[in-house]
Amino acid sequence: MKEFMMIFIGADYAALGLSPEELQGRMGKWFAWSEKMEKAGILRSGNALHSDMRRIIGKERTVTDMASAEVKEIVGGYYIIEAKDFDEVEEVAQDFPDYDLGGTVEIREIMVFDK
Amino acid sequence: MEQKLIDHLFRHHYGKMVSVLTRIFGLAHLETIEDAVQDTFIKATLTWKNNPPESPEAWLTKAAKNRVIDIFRKLNAERKRIPRITASHEAMNMNDLFLKNEIEDSQLRMIFTACHPLLSQADRIAFSLKTISGFSSKEIASALLAKEETIKKRLSRARKTIKTKNILFAIPVDKELYERITSVHEVLYLIFNEGFHSNRTDILIRKELCGEAMRLCQMILKNELTRSENGYALFALMCFHAARLDSKINSKGEIIDLKNQDRSKWHFPLMYLGNEAMNKATASNQFSYYHYEAAIAAEHLRAPSFKDTQWNKILLWYKNLYQIQPSAITALHMAIVQIQLKNFEAASQLLIDTQPVDLGQRAYLYYGVQGEFYKEKGEHEKATSCLDLALSVVQNEAEKNYLLRKKATFQKRKVEQN
Repeated sequence: MKEFMMIFIGADYAALGLSPEELQGRMGKWFAWSEKMEKAGILRSGNALHSDMRRIIGKERTVTDMASAEVKEIVGGYYIIEAKDFDEVEEVAQDFPDYDLGGTVEIREIMVFDK
Repeated sequence: MEQKLIDHLFRHHYGKMVSVLTRIFGLAHLETIEDAVQDTFIKATLTWKNNPPESPEAWLTKAAKNRVIDIFRKLNAERKRIPRITASHEAMNMNDLFLKNEIEDSQLRMIFTACHPLLSQADRIAFSLKTISGFSSKEIASALLAKEETIKKRLSRARKTIKTKNILFAIPVDKELYERITSVHEVLYLIFNEGFHSNRTDILIRKELCGEAMRLCQMILKNELTRSENGYALFALMCFHAARLDSKINSKGEIIDLKNQDRSKWHFPLMYLGNEAMNKATASNQFSYYHYEAAIAAEHLRAPSFKDTQWNKILLWYKNLYQIQPSAITALHMAIVQIQLKNFEAASQLLIDTQPVDLGQRAYLYYGVQGEFYKEKGEHEKATSCLDLALSVVQNEAEKNYLLRKKATFQKRKVEQN
């Protein structure tokens, strides 16, 4: 079995101005999804990220503080799951709740180094 | 861990927390408070994705308490006048304000603020839905069939009025209390009607509006200072109407009139609740508009079928209603009842006395009733042309389809007669 990371991009709730009711609706979907993965025994770990960001770039190490509104495609969080291949992860990612808000899931395989 | 959130937990919690924090910081800081509470929900969703809390409610309340300090800091930084909670005559441990009773008290204060006579009626409704019920301006706009911009304007106008006129965050006393309760009833009645009589086929939004009005009405009735017989009558009326809500629209989104509704679908527990409220409402024989409207609704529910309806009783209630508050729509309803009773002369007189223009956007209802009048008299040509008139002024798609279907049955009957 391999490990894959599902990276969630876009669909920043704060910037979208969702109402309490809409946020609760989203929450229910996230709960259902993570529960499903847990039941299948494939969920390894995951985290959500704050939208404030500090970016350091280039040789000059230029530092910029940014708010979510200024970043088009912000990474909101990730899950690490166990799966056979990309196809299997793609199947799991069908339940990601925020496609309708313009969200994206990026699937990457975690590299394993020989010991 | 199995996680399921109580329906509308966030929305209701929003109202609770905004009310409690307003009690601490004052109405002048309402915008800061609302932003802070909204922010709590964003944080909750982010945190909970990976660490669902044992008790979401406790988590949210704790988060709101933490917000108190954040808001203090923010207001301090902006050098705004900061209330000194401990110095006020209402000196209370802050934690106590988050107890169930005190939360309810704060919510009542917010309801009474929202229904202050200095706010216009439209502003009262928008402000209530936002601040007490936790609807976003987009949700309010969609529920009231208004533009989001319009709602935003109403909300900011309400906030401004509250600020500039120094409206108190309190439940008024004596005569003022009585007047304010009347205004609260009116607002709840209007919110309910937006849901119940709305022509939109989206049953979910309609149920939410009706449900909110009923929830707030229950809050008013729970407190002995604010409960009243009129309040119970209003609640009874909401229960009786709500019992029929599901059967007013079929699965295709078509309007079903009273005559054709499946009476077995009417919701019995709500009728029971309504009856209980009605008993409390009639203790002293002082009847309001709400009493009579509830009595009419109850009479319809009591009839096992449309043809068993006690139209004579209903007519009596309508006459009482008209005495208290004469209106074109009540007159039109009386005409409908007279048609059912085959009192065509009385019906005709009512139709002459009422003018379609008095009904504004609902003028099509007038022509619809007029059509019914001629149909019952067997004058099918006239009946059909009335429906054509109704069709020429109706705006709503569902109502239009309803009229078209009705017209088809008129024509069918005409053919059968020939």
